[in-house]
Amino acid sequence: MSDAWGALREQLLATPMLAIALTLAAYFAGSWIFVRLGKPGWCPGILFAAMLLAATLALLGIDYTDYRAGASWLMLLLGPATVALGVPLYQQLPRIRAVWRPLLISLPPAAMLAAFYAVGLAWLLGATPEVLASLAPKSVTAPIAIGITEQLGGVIPLMMGGLLITGVVTTACVSLLARYLQLRDPRVLGFVLGVNGHVIGTVRAFELGPTAGAFASLGMSLTGIFSALFLPLAWRLVGL
Amino acid sequence: MPTLRGFLWLVILLLCGEALVWALALPVSPGVIGMLLLTLGLTLRGRAGSDIQAASQPLISMLAMLIMPGVVGIFFIADEFSSQWLAVAAALLFGTLASVATTLWLMLRFMPPETTNE
Repeated sequence: MSDAWGALREQLLATPMLAIALTLAAYFAGSWIFVRLGKPGWCPGILFAAMLLAATLALLGIDYTDYRAGASWLMLLLGPATVALGVPLYQQLPRIRAVWRPLLISLPPAAMLAAFYAVGLAWLLGATPEVLASLAPKSVTAPIAIGITEQLGGVIPLMMGGLLITGVVTTACVSLLARYLQLRDPRVLGFVLGVNGHVIGTVRAFELGPTAGAFASLGMSLTGIFSALFLPLAWRLVGL
Repeated sequence: MPTLRGFLWLVILLLCGEALVWALALPVSPGVIGMLLLTLGLTLRGRAGSDIQAASQPLISMLAMLIMPGVVGIFFIADEFSSQWLAVAAALLFGTLASVATTLWLMLRFMPPETTNE
């Protein structure tokens, strides 16, 4: 029985289709749970989807590297999807231009501190340099973060996991703070979500509305650009 | 067809981004350069055509799904870093709480109220 399954699994894994089907199925199942729970702000749908996907892979006995090789076909679309963020950015340009100064003042300290807090805490708790390098780009959008992690000598899967947790915590934290402080300004909420929570925060911001989404896209791309320049330099200065 | 035409534009801009990153040895990803090129192009043109909108909207709503294959990796490398899980978890959780609070404070400190717009 298990031999037959093993042979079938190998056959199905020969093309990327199984990985693509599993990813899409987990995504829709995760979104369904998310909607059934009333779209909770404290927990983005992607967390359910990622846990479902991991459980399915473990149950079916599919090796993560095999899965990832197939799913990389889906991840190819991440490039054009990032370019697509230029559209909401363009549509909100007048509102962004009106406040470019506060945005530009807030960004460098925000992006630096996002990395500094996490790396500092991990260092205090005795993490190895390899782990520190994987945590540093935790608020940077995936395609840029991969480049940064490679440059700093980190571990990509750990970095991607950090990205997931950071995005989830950012979404939860912004939702709670917004309710507690009675914040409704979509520009502020969107920018905070994008700077700290990269793609996951940006997805949440688009749920709040197109203005929040555009400010999140802007925050995400500025954080990415700034961190790509700043982190390798800081790493060299600290001598890690 | 508008979706495909728009998609072609996105891919062309991505390739332009790729070329610029390679030529100027930029540390940024081609996608981000492509995004800036698209924003610039739309600004020069003065409007976002229906082709590019038809391709962009579905892609943007798919973003979360597109990073799933990467992020599930965390569940499979947990053993390797089990001795450091506390440091990693604390850094991610409290580091993110602190940075969200800081960014929010900075934004509220410097951002003028919405009415100053236009």
